[in-house]
Amino acid sequence: MRKGFGFIAFGVVLLLTGSYLGLFVAPAERYMGDVQRIMYVHVPTAWNWMLSVLFSLVCAIAFLARNNMKWDARLEASLEVSTLLAFLLCCQGAIWAKPTWGVWWDWDPRLTTTAVLLFATIGILALRSAVEDPTKRAIWSSVATIIAAVDLPIVYYSVKWWNSLHQMQSTPQTVSSAFHAPLRINAFGVLFLMIGFIMLRTRIAAARLERELAGPPVRIGEEAGELA
Amino acid sequence: METAKVLIPSLKKELLLQWRTRGQLTAVFVFGAVSLLLFSFAIGPNAAALRTFSAGFLWIAVLLSSTLTLAESFHGEMENRALEGLLLLPSDPRALYYAKAIANWLQLTMLGIALVPVMVILYDAGTTRLPTLLLVIVLGAAGLSAPGTLYAAMTAQLKAKQTLLPLLLFPLIVPALLASVKATSYVILGDPMGQAKSWLSLLAAFDLIYWALCGMLYERVIED
Amino acid sequence: MTEGVISGGWEFVWAAYGITAAAFAIYGVTLVMRLRASRNHDH
Repeated sequence: MRKGFGFIAFGVVLLLTGSYLGLFVAPAERYMGDVQRIMYVHVPTAWNWMLSVLFSLVCAIAFLARNNMKWDARLEASLEVSTLLAFLLCCQGAIWAKPTWGVWWDWDPRLTTTAVLLFATIGILALRSAVEDPTKRAIWSSVATIIAAVDLPIVYYSVKWWNSLHQMQSTPQTVSSAFHAPLRINAFGVLFLMIGFIMLRTRIAAARLERELAGPPVRIGEEAGELA
Repeated sequence: METAKVLIPSLKKELLLQWRTRGQLTAVFVFGAVSLLLFSFAIGPNAAALRTFSAGFLWIAVLLSSTLTLAESFHGEMENRALEGLLLLPSDPRALYYAKAIANWLQLTMLGIALVPVMVILYDAGTTRLPTLLLVIVLGAAGLSAPGTLYAAMTAQLKAKQTLLPLLLFPLIVPALLASVKATSYVILGDPMGQAKSWLSLLAAFDLIYWALCGMLYERVIED
Repeated sequence: MTEGVISGGWEFVWAAYGITAAAFAIYGVTLVMRLRASRNHDH
């Protein structure tokens, strides 16, 4: 029951430690200067965003294979957390790009792919909120998630190719090799925070499903209990 | 080969339906043409710039118009609950999907071809390489219609279908749009390095992936 | 690409960390509120 909060608390502690190290202890990078410190929060967010997309895909496939509403609740949770992380990535990426490249948006393939997937997950969440029938909602959003996840590598390579043809972008070394500690600590911090968020959000989704499916004896109630 | 047996009559039905609602297609074409006209006001009367961006404008116009035709493609089924009737028949749902997707593909291809003269006149974007241009339009329309038909099947039953269909479709077809625009651009502005071919292969790969994947997933989308 | 060292830029660093912290905090609060609301539903 309290497990989700435990993960969140642990994640916050790690994030505070990692960010303190990244902001005040780590040396300024040779070329990027202090701006490079953004990487200590940006890169962990990026890794965990990819994990959340992967987990959404797993949930979607598992739901279509098993027809178990437990996976639908998890899908809803991971899609929402994934949207949050993608939004943060776009903000952090734009903030990073301005002092580095002089523009807010550089059509960097990674940043652009994140933006495309951000809108895709917003679309799936909007679809979920528009469908009242829980079964249809679950199937349709699983299908849409699979389609969007398959699109991710295609978007990445097409944007990369498109951008490289009109200008060669030399990407600076993302992380000062001298100091990996804040990066690793923050990566685990965001990971635990994300797990905690997904667990809490799953509980909310499962509770709503339980209400929607109330009446006929459906096993979803017990399963929702197990999840918590 | 059960699918193929059902596919032909289903496709005939779709094409007949489209022929009966051809007034709709004309309206969609006019919508696309007006969009092309409006895009030129975004740039201003700068002939060189308009010509440079003509490929992008053409595909954005096709994309905007496509949401209208795609949203309408399940209108008949929803009106009389005919989809449920079709599902009661012992037929392959994949055949129903492919019939619809092919019909939409043809419609979007026609729309794209019809918009080309408008683009040529407004943006001075003439070209002699018509076979390549036709190929781009055919492949680009296929890229829009495969996921578009699937999402139309989902959203047709919803109140918010007018906003949800583009919201779901637009992010997804970014690679297809990118490849179509690039390839068309090379056709219009010249292609000394022969780069159009690689964009066409990307487009073809996108089409293959989504025609296969959406056909597989459609069965789950319409089941009850 | 920029030549030499980028000096300063702390405002960008603070903005990036600030947005991240704010987003996580706000999302966490909405989660707790929604969780409470769904619990009240049950009783």
